[in-house]
This record gives sequence, structure tokens and C-alpha cells, in this order.
Amino acid sequence: MDSEVVFKQEFEINGGDFVNAGESASKLKNILKEIGIDTDIIRRLAIAAYEAEVNVVTYARHGIMRILIYPEKILLTVEDEGQGIKDIDLAMQPGYSTATDEIREMGFGAGLGLPNMKKNADIFNISSTVDKGTKLEITMNLNDKNVRD
Amino acid sequence: MSETKLLHSVRVNKDKCIGCGKCMRACPTKAMRVRPQKASINYERCIDCGECLRVCPNDAIEPITTSSADINKFKYKVAIPSPVIHSQFGPQIMPNGILSALKEIGFDYVYDEALICEMQNMVIEEYLDKNKSPRPIISSTCPVVARLIQRLFPSLCNLILPIEPPFEIAAKILKKEISEKQNIPKEEIGIIEITPCAAKMVSISHPETLEKSHLDGAISIKDVYNKVMIILKKEEQSLMLQGQSPISGIGIGRAIAGGEIRGLKYHQSVSVSGVYDTIKILEGVESGKLHDIEYLECLICPDGCIGGPLTVENRFIAKSNILKLTRIYGNKKRVDSNRVKRLYKEDFFSFESGVKPKPFKPLDKDRILAIKKMNLKREIFEKLPKRDCGICGAPDCITFAEDVVQGKAKLEDCIFMKK
Repeated sequence: MDSEVVFKQEFEINGGDFVNAGESASKLKNILKEIGIDTDIIRRLAIAAYEAEVNVVTYARHGIMRILIYPEKILLTVEDEGQGIKDIDLAMQPGYSTATDEIREMGFGAGLGLPNMKKNADIFNISSTVDKGTKLEITMNLNDKNVRD
Repeated sequence: MSETKLLHSVRVNKDKCIGCGKCMRACPTKAMRVRPQKASINYERCIDCGECLRVCPNDAIEPITTSSADINKFKYKVAIPSPVIHSQFGPQIMPNGILSALKEIGFDYVYDEALICEMQNMVIEEYLDKNKSPRPIISSTCPVVARLIQRLFPSLCNLILPIEPPFEIAAKILKKEISEKQNIPKEEIGIIEITPCAAKMVSISHPETLEKSHLDGAISIKDVYNKVMIILKKEEQSLMLQGQSPISGIGIGRAIAGGEIRGLKYHQSVSVSGVYDTIKILEGVESGKLHDIEYLECLICPDGCIGGPLTVENRFIAKSNILKLTRIYGNKKRVDSNRVKRLYKEDFFSFESGVKPKPFKPLDKDRILAIKKMNLKREIFEKLPKRDCGICGAPDCITFAEDVVQGKAKLEDCIFMKK
């Protein structure tokens, strides 16, 4: 599978760095625009990437966002070292959040991140180990119609 | 050929251009090059913001507006001055004096656009009340913002308020009323905006959301300034007494950023002005992090339309003049809200068609090739000095790298790469 990767890039995300939260998602978006990915796919992936990035900043110590482009799909993975998620099913429910009041005051932690990612992804996978970290996989399918004239 | 000319708002006068590159550095979409010695515009990337016009020290970037010969073709000439006009002639001159002076310079009728601005403010509120999603709704007033969204933020096109801006509404109302009341065929009525805006001509010749604009042309505030000033100096006293048209303080307030959201009492709204700040806030909207905002007023010129490149008065003085007028004329409503509601129901203010996405071309039509080109562009960029000196004729090193990849420049064009 890896032999098929036509583009790959990694972005580092630092836990607690709310100042730069969203930077990686923004860089990612600009790459996708430059290579002519369909507008709607960019929009959905950018929203999912932003939510994922904010999650790392809010709940983890450190994370890596990877973008892998294949001829037929885009795979975005976000892997972090942090507190992990105890009950994924619960975390996937809109409005559920473990964020502190302090974080909510900054405008984050509304409990919509994971559901929003799932809503915007074509395929969404999540796995997590408590006290170790969380791994997200977001896949967007590309079809030939997405090649722009 | 003439198509390209009309499609865009500015052209380079090669006789005046000295090739300094100020325009190239100011351009937010990197549409300009200075190659070999003179500036040229890649119209494919131009969004008509007028930043180049603003910074050119030699007046070599010329706005395209309607010629007086074209205006004179119309039997009945109507001027609709932008509310910005009221900020241009000093704090002592009152709106009625300016409107009367405009009539004297050769128009059969002058209608203050400020009234329609007030009307459109009501329409915005009505739209937000009736349509609870999506959010944020982005103002449709600035023609450049719409272009910027089409090109740089195509996924946001559906957020643009589907209501025509004041100048179109004004022209639509006037054409109908004048032709009915005075029995003049519509094609003999010429409606001309007196504008601070470099992009206005393009939005009239190539409207994005109408099959045909209701306006017939635009001339700049700069173009009428001297003539109006001479009349005002001579006949100020008598002009002040003329004209009994109601002056809308709310509408005049639209000349400065924030004028559109001032009336939105029940809606969370934000006002942004200036091209770079607008780009920044739209990036935020695109990331999906600004859905708490209900209405976003974006104006490309700094501080709003008073900062337009076709104005004369210093924009800070102009702002002060507008604020003074809004204090004098207050918040008293001049427009009948029942009429607005009725017209709203008839879709009188609505776009005929939505704003369509027109994203910039990717590096290549073929995705795999586009990725290869992007990687190559990055490799070239790494070799470059990253000083963004502009001597190669591109605005910065990253754009130069792209020009090399696309075969529009050679690596040796960079003076640091020569040896």
C-alpha cells in the first residue's frame, strides 16, 4: 500500500499551544488547494483536521498529524501522546466533553470535535489507550471527477 | 481582447510604469510580475481589489471607468453617489449641497444611495431572521470580497448573503420608477454610480449574480471631485437651501466599516476591513471555527469604502466626517419597513443566481503531476535566498519557484543563482 503514496507530509502539534492551534490544518488546506483537490473535499478535510488538531492541543502533550495522498484517496492520521479516551462511544456523542471550565472559557471543549470529524470524513477510525494516547484516521475518497479542468 | 479589458478593473500604463515593483509586492493574489522592465497583470489571478492602484507612485495603474462619451449616449442621466461622497468635501458641506452640485455637473437626476443602504440594512436583518442556517452569513456589499471568496475560498460561496448590494437595488428601483413616472424608455435612462471602488466597473460589466447589472456605468469620486468642488465654493449658500430629499444617517454610516452591522441588534456580528485581515478571517471561517458568528461584514478597503482607491480625502478625515454626519442625522429611520418587508417577500432584493466557485487553477490538471510540480517547487524554493527581493520580477521567492516550475521563468533569472 505504501508504495502507492504520491505525497506525504507530517506536522507536529504541541499540547497546550492554543496560540498556534489550527496552523497545521491551515497548511494542510493550502497544499490541497495547490494540487487541485475538489473544493468540497478540502472543506470537509480542513474542518476535520482543525478539530483533530485542537483536540491534541487541548488534551495531549504532543501529537503528529500526517497527510498521505494516494491516487484514489487521502488519508489523514493524527496520533498523540496524552491522556487517551476512556469510553470512545461516549466521547463520540455530541456535547459530551471532559474539558475543564478554563478550556471552555477559551472557546474550546464544546464536545463537538469527534462527532464533527466523523460527520465530515468518508471513513473515520479511532483507537485510544488511557494514559498513552489516541490515534485517529480520516479517509477521503477521491474519484476522477475531482480532477479539475 | 476587449473582453479581457472589460473583465478587469485596472490596466498598466506602460509609458508611466517605472518598474519599481511596489504593485507586485502589494498584490494579495500574486497576480503581478515586473518582467522584463514593466509591470504586467495576470488577469487570471486578479480579484480587482485595487491594492496596486493604491500603492503606485506614478499613477501607472489606471482604473477603468465609464467614459463621458458613453454617459452622454443616454438621454436621461442619473447619478447615484456612494455614501462615501458625503465624506469628501470637508465637515462644513452638508449632503444636500453635494447632491445639488452633482446635478449641476451634468446629471438630470441625483439619487442618494444612502437611502438604499438603510433599506438594505433592513433586508439583512430580515434575511437573518428568516434563515437560521448556515452561519456565518458573509456580506455581499463588497464586490471584491465576493471575488476573493470565489477564487481563494470557493467552499464559502454558499455563505454569501444572497441579497444584491445597495447600488444594484438603487438602480433597479430608479430605472423602474423613472421610466414609469416620466415615461422614458428604460434603455434611454443611464444610471451611473459615483464610486470610491475600483472593482465597481467590473461588477457592472460582468455581474456574478445577475444576468445584467441594473447600472449602466461608474465614474470615480476623483473624476467628479474638482467640478463639484468648484460649484460648492461658488454657490454653497444657495445649494444648501435646495433639495428637500430626506438624508439617511443610517445609510451614510455604511461608508465606513461597521455601518452594516450597526443595526443588527439581535445578531452576533463582526466587521472586518482591509484585504489581509479579510483573508485571515475567511481562513477562520473555512476552518469551521467561527460558527458562533451570525453575520460577517467584510470590506476589502481599509476602514471600509471611505478607504477606496478612487477617493480624494484622507480616509481618517473622511471617517471623521461620516461620523459627524451620522451624529447629525442620527438613527432616525427614513425607509418604510413595511415596504421593505413586502419587497422582500417578492424576492425583489435577491440574487438571480448564487455566487459560483472559481478556484485558482492547480499546479496541474493532473493530480499526480500537480503533486510532482509542488515537490519540485519546494525543492527550488529551498535553493533560493528567501530574501523576496523581487529583482527576478516575481513578488517573492516562493512565487518565483512556481514560475520556474510552470516554465514562466528560468532559475538564472534569480541574481543569486547566476554563478
